[in-house]
This record gives sequence, structure tokens and C-alpha cells, in this order.
Amino acid sequence: MVLVSAVRDYINRMLQDISGMKVLILDSHTVSIVSVAYSQSELLQKEVFLVELVDSISKSNESMSHLKAVFFLRPTSENIQHLRRQLASPRFGEYHLFFSNLLKDTQIHILADSDEQEVVQQVQEFYADFVAIDTYHFTLNVPSNHIYMLPAVVDPSNLQHFCDRVVDGIAAIFLALKRRPIIRYQRTSDIAKRIAQETAKLMYQQESGLFDFRRTEISPLLLVVDRRDDPVTPLLNQWTYQAMVHELIGIQDNKVDLRNIGKLPQDQQEVVLSSEQDAFFKANMYENFGDIGMNIKQLVDEFQQIAKSNQNIQTIEDMAKFVDNYPEYRKMQGNVSKHVTLVTEMSKIVEERKLMLVSQTEQDLACNGGQVTAFEAVTNLLNNERISDIDRLRLVMLYALRYEKESPVQLMQLFNKLASQSPKYKPGLVQFLLKQAGVDKRTGDLYGNRDLLNIARNMARGLKGIENVYTQHQPLLFQTMESISKGRLKDVDYPFVGNHFQQGRPQEVVIFIVGGTTYEESRSVALQNASNSGIRFILGGSVVLNSKRFLKDLEEAQRIARSSPAVV
Amino acid sequence: MASRNRTIIFRRYRDALKSVRAPASSSPASSLTTSAGGPVIELVSTSLINPNRSYAPLSTEDPGNSSKGALTVGLPPAWVDVSEEIAANVQLARTRMAELAKAHAKALMPSFGDGKEDQRLIESLSQEITGLIKRSEKKLQRLSAAGPSEDSNVRKNVQRSLATDLQNLSMELRKKQSTYLKRLRQQKEGQDGVDLEMNLNGNRSTMEDDDLDNMVFNEHQMAKLKKSEALTAEREREIQQVVDSVNELAQIMKDLSVLVIDQGTIVDRIDYNIQNVATTVEEGLKQLQKAERTQKHGGMVRCATVLIIMCFIMLVLLILKEIFL
Repeated sequence: MVLVSAVRDYINRMLQDISGMKVLILDSHTVSIVSVAYSQSELLQKEVFLVELVDSISKSNESMSHLKAVFFLRPTSENIQHLRRQLASPRFGEYHLFFSNLLKDTQIHILADSDEQEVVQQVQEFYADFVAIDTYHFTLNVPSNHIYMLPAVVDPSNLQHFCDRVVDGIAAIFLALKRRPIIRYQRTSDIAKRIAQETAKLMYQQESGLFDFRRTEISPLLLVVDRRDDPVTPLLNQWTYQAMVHELIGIQDNKVDLRNIGKLPQDQQEVVLSSEQDAFFKANMYENFGDIGMNIKQLVDEFQQIAKSNQNIQTIEDMAKFVDNYPEYRKMQGNVSKHVTLVTEMSKIVEERKLMLVSQTEQDLACNGGQVTAFEAVTNLLNNERISDIDRLRLVMLYALRYEKESPVQLMQLFNKLASQSPKYKPGLVQFLLKQAGVDKRTGDLYGNRDLLNIARNMARGLKGIENVYTQHQPLLFQTMESISKGRLKDVDYPFVGNHFQQGRPQEVVIFIVGGTTYEESRSVALQNASNSGIRFILGGSVVLNSKRFLKDLEEAQRIARSSPAVV
Repeated sequence: MASRNRTIIFRRYRDALKSVRAPASSSPASSLTTSAGGPVIELVSTSLINPNRSYAPLSTEDPGNSSKGALTVGLPPAWVDVSEEIAANVQLARTRMAELAKAHAKALMPSFGDGKEDQRLIESLSQEITGLIKRSEKKLQRLSAAGPSEDSNVRKNVQRSLATDLQNLSMELRKKQSTYLKRLRQQKEGQDGVDLEMNLNGNRSTMEDDDLDNMVFNEHQMAKLKKSEALTAEREREIQQVVDSVNELAQIMKDLSVLVIDQGTIVDRIDYNIQNVATTVEEGLKQLQKAERTQKHGGMVRCATVLIIMCFIMLVLLILKEIFL
């Protein structure tokens, strides 16, 4: 509950001292931030009777001066302009302004200038500038995420915006946790280095007073890594509940949009998958597909029992009991149908796309060796007509990432076959991926075949046998976390910023992946945290990726790189 | 959790900028307010809806700073009175509920007296609470507004919040009543059991007597029988009353459940509600425009005009006929 409760505390503090009817005004980013942590009914309890977006507030001129306005915005220049217009002709009785990050003095000046009628009662900075989707997982929903793949010369201003947003988000996390960390970054990634250095400058120089918290013995660690160090994880198909829903259907701010999937009843078209509010989901979000099926069947059986007993109403007492338990019953009904719908739709998709077949090869490519068998398997699947384009592309990419240097002839063959069959994906996407995330560009030991220790570990795992073929892959993050726990994260690969130094093992670690995280990685973090190793890991990224999103980012970056003269 | 208060810096800037602007524009404004004198009803800064807070009166005070004269009076719209009434009812119902709990406890304790006044108190309290809830529910329906607008959203949300409160109240009341009912039944059975036992013993004892005596019930036993009958009848009535109020409340709950938000579903999400507002406002606008258009070019209007023209023509023809004939 760490991240979610931080956001909830901030919102509670915003609302508690203001009495009377309130209207809460948010912008498009803070809407996500607030929606994942606070529910509408809780807002109603706090007497917030209207929630609006700041751009639509200015459209109406209705004066509602019996309401007090609570603004919670990001301190961007557009929002300051909106506020200026609002303050010039105020619609509400009182104005309480809360900003999710640091305000510049010029911005305060502008606001003070436009507040001629002195309606503003307070201006505060409450650092809830991240979307807390799970207990230990946050995201920033950065709009043009693909820009991280391009060198700085291509679009320096957009890249600066991206870095600013990321630095703001990371700063907000540490302000919410009241800590100032030691910062390390991935050596081979320019953007990770840039973000690490800018964060260090902010925390230790520009706003060192604000970040000057009580020093604990061992400072926490912030590790900034690049997505391209582990391009395999976002490309794989997933088989654990939360990751699978995101991969096959898509989760945005803990909401699943089922409208495009099929004909569904009105109340099931958009559903909420939140581990805070749904006990069944909390217990099953990291379980694999087979176990979920069994658990859902159990849930349905329980529900049917209750439904049957409800139909058997004979005495007035029964009726009274039914009416008493009706809200619970209705809630359970909604929950059961939600999970049943999700699992049904996912089974349909698995069947259509033959994902069990495809995923077996994917996992082999990601985890096991054997170039020849891999080549054969991929070729077979490419020849199989019922495999969809995107799955073919993923297979070739996974093969290319692993066997980039071995047997280039066969790799070429695969490229050609792919190009001939899938005209939708412009040729060269795989090559672009290799240029971005090829073996020369990566720091971590993605396949565990670099040093002897890793090879031995892999062999041992192979001998032990695998529990489930479909979930054998461990993201690179898992290894990174293990190294940190043992205090063995190499300085060569992950240097410190400036003259930071860490003695001993940190007890709190925030890992930020520039380019996006995946739900498989957040599962890894949650399981690591549950194993009571004494270290608490928090994971965050610029977005939450699935294979579609990752490929889209690649395509966008490729398109821009092609059209830009600056890139060789 | 860290935060930073920028209000002081803001106020400093604001005052500095005000003094820069002041010589130019503030003089007409200040003269206006000072001439107005007297108490002006300022912004309503009380908690109107929250029943947990004490009811503070409207603040009537002079506007302190001259620049506030430009701000218009902040009187809430009329429907706020309705919601205020409902909130007051809810508060009253809560206090009565506490009293009812005490009365229940007292009635269930074994006592020598008749307990009739306890029964009456319980009855009156239950009826009062049920009446309050019913009236509040009817008033709640009045809060619904037509047409998509910001005000209607506020009303809808106020409605929802009050509906949740009412539903919780009615569930609490029913739970209390059903536990009371259960314990009452247990007591009644106990008493009846004792009575039955006595009757049985009585019958057996008479059986052992002369046969003639068996034919005639002892006066004593007759009285006892009548008394236990009356008691039973009374208990039946009480139980029936409680059951009636349970049914009433069930009906109310059904109506309310339409208004109350299901927690944990998509309807409880803030971003979903914002989206919906946007789409309903747009939809509403489109509908209004369509209605306007159809009304203008509507068949009805054309028909009506044609008929009126025909009427005029007929009238003229009639007059002409009269003149020439």
C-alpha cells in the first residue's frame, strides 16, 4: 500500500480542512493519479460533489459561488494559463490551489498577478505526481514515450520535456517517501545517465533544502536503467493474470476496456482491475492461467450456492435476510461476472492466435539455447498460415535478439521470409531493434551466457526441470534485484552519479526503467518483496508496456529516425 | 510525506502587485463597498451537507478588504435547502436510532411490570424513524434534475451521497429490529413453553380427578388460558408490526439501491464519471439541437399553420355568404 497510501494521504490532506460543498478540478494527468487511488464514493463522503477537468471548466460561465474549488494540477504552463483565466473571472467562492510538483517563482508571480479578486486561499505543493497502479509499481504515462530511443540531436526539445517529466516523477516519489537517495545508472545508456544526473542536480543542488530529510544510516538507492537493456520481456506473451490481461486486451490506469472485444452487457464493457479493491484479483493476479481457471470455477460455485439459497425464500425472515445481504450479493455477482468475462475473452484470443504454440517457441528462444532447433521452430511457425502478423514479427525479433551473431545467413533468410509475408510491418523494424538493443548495446547478461557463473546457473536450472514451460522466463530485472540484495551490483556496469557512494546494502531501492515497465517485471518485484529479504523494491517506468505498445514505440522511433537528417 | 506551502510567497506577491495596481483602480471599488455599509451576506462557508459536523449558521459579516466588493453574493441555489433538510432528517434519525437501541435493551430485560410503555416507546420510535426515512426518500427524488449541466451533476452527486446515508440508516434499523424480533420470539417461546407446561400439568391433574370434573375447565385454568391467549395475541401483533416496518424499509432500500454507487465497479471511478459527463453534455447538446430543428421544421407546426389559414378562409367565406345572401 506504500505508493497508493501516499497518494491517498495527500488527497485526504487536501480535502480535510475545507468545509462545505467542494468541486475538485483536475487536469488530464492528475485525473489518472487520483482515479487509481481514490474512488468516487469516497469523494462524495468528503463532500466533493463535482469533479471536472480544468479545460472544460472555462467553457461555462455559470457562477457556482456556493462551491469551493480545489484545484489539483501539474505545474505546466498550460495549466497556469487556464488558472489565469479562471482567476480573472472566478466562478467559485474560494480557490484552493494544489500542485503536484515544484512551482517556479515566475509561475507564482503570474498567479498572484491574476488574482485580483483575492479568491485564492492557499497555494501548496503536494507531491503526488505519479500513477500508483500497484503497491510497489508506479508509472508516469508519458505521452511520447518513443523519444527515448532517439539520440538527443533529433528532437532536443521533446527529449528535454521527456526528461523533465521523468525527473519530476522520480522527485515526487522520493518526496512522498521523504528520502534522498544515492543514484546509480546504466553505463551504456545515454538517456539513463542524463536522467540520473539531472535528478542528482535537483535533489542535491537546486532544491537541496527541500530534500534534506533526516538521514538514515543507509541511504536508499535509485537505479535508472534503460528498457533496451532487456527488450525480450516486453515482446513475450504472458500467462499470469494481470500481465496476460494487459498483453491480450490492455489495462490503462487499472481499467480494462472491453468495448472492442465483443458484444457484452452494458455494465461489463469497462471493468476495474485493482488489487486494492478486489480481493479475488489480489489473490490471483500473479497466478498462471491454469490456476486462475480453477480458482474462478471455485468462485462461481460459491456464488451459485448463495444464489440458490437466495431463491429459496419462504419465510419473512428469509426475505429480511435477503434484503440485508443484497448489496453484498450484488457486489459478488458483479465481481464474478467480471472475472468470468475476462477469462472467457482471453481464452478466445488464445485459441484464435494459437498462442500456446507460439508462446512455447518464444519461451524457448528466451530461455534455452540451441540455435538450430530454434531456427527450425521459427521457420515452421512462419510457414504456418494461421499465425498472425504480430506474432510472426515477435518470433523473428526474439530469434534475432538471441542469435544475432550466430549464422547471419539464416537470420537473413528469416528476415526475407518475414518481409514477404507481412507487408504491414515495414521492413527493417527488426534491424532497427537490433541497432537499438543489440548485444553490443546491452549491459546486463540477458541470456545468462556471458560469465561462467551464469552459465552454470542456467545448466543447474535446466537439470532441475521446469515447472511450467510458459512461465519459465525470468526478466533481467530479477537478476539485477538479486545483485543488489547481495550487494554485488557491478560499479563498472552501473556507476554512481558524481561522488555518491554506498556502503553496505540499501534497504529501499527504487528502480526506474526509462522506456517503460511490464507487468511481468512488477510481478517479479512483488514476489521479491514478499520473500522478506529485508530490502523493499519499488518499480517505476515512463509507461507500462505490452508487446503492441513496445512495437509501436519502435515503429514511431524508426519513422522519425528515417525522416531526420541528423541520424546516420 | 513532504509538502511545501507557497501561500505566504503568493500572498506577498499578490499584495505587492495590488499596491502597484491600487492607486489606479481601487478607489471606485472601495467607495462602493464602504457606502454599502451594513452586513452583507458573504459566501456560505458552512458545512451544509455533512451531518457529522455541527450546523453552523450563515456568516454575516462585513467584507473585510475592499477588493472583495467586486465578488457577487454567493447564495446557494434553492435545491440546497432540500438537501439540507434531508441531512437534518438523517441526523435526527441517527439520534432516534440510539434511543431505540436503548429502548430495545430495556424491553428485553426481564421485568415484573407489564412492559406496555416500553412497547409503546419502541413502536413510536420505530415509526418515527421509518417516517423520517420515507419522507427523506421522497424529498430525495425531488433533487433529480433534468438536462445535463454542471449544476445537475452536483445535484446528482449530492443525491448519491444522501442515498448512501439513507440506505445505511435503513439497513441499521432493520438489523436492530430483526435482532430484537429474534430475541422477542425466543422470549415468547420460553413463556409459551412454560404456559403449555402448566396447562399440560393442569390437564393431567384434572384427568386424575373425577370424570365429571374433566368436562369442565377449572375457572383458574380458564383465566390462565385467556391470559396466555391475550399475551400471545399481543406478541403476534408486535411481531406483525415489526415485520411490516421491515417490509416498508425493504421497499425503500430497493428504490435507493438504484441511486447508490456500487463500490469497486467502473461507476465508482472518477475518470469514468468525468468522461461520462463530457459525453452526456455533448449528447444533450446534440439532442437539444435536433429537437430545435425538428420543432422548427416539424410537421406539427406546418399542420397547425395550415389549419389556421383554412379556418380564416372559411370564416371569410362565411362572412361573404352572409353578406351576399
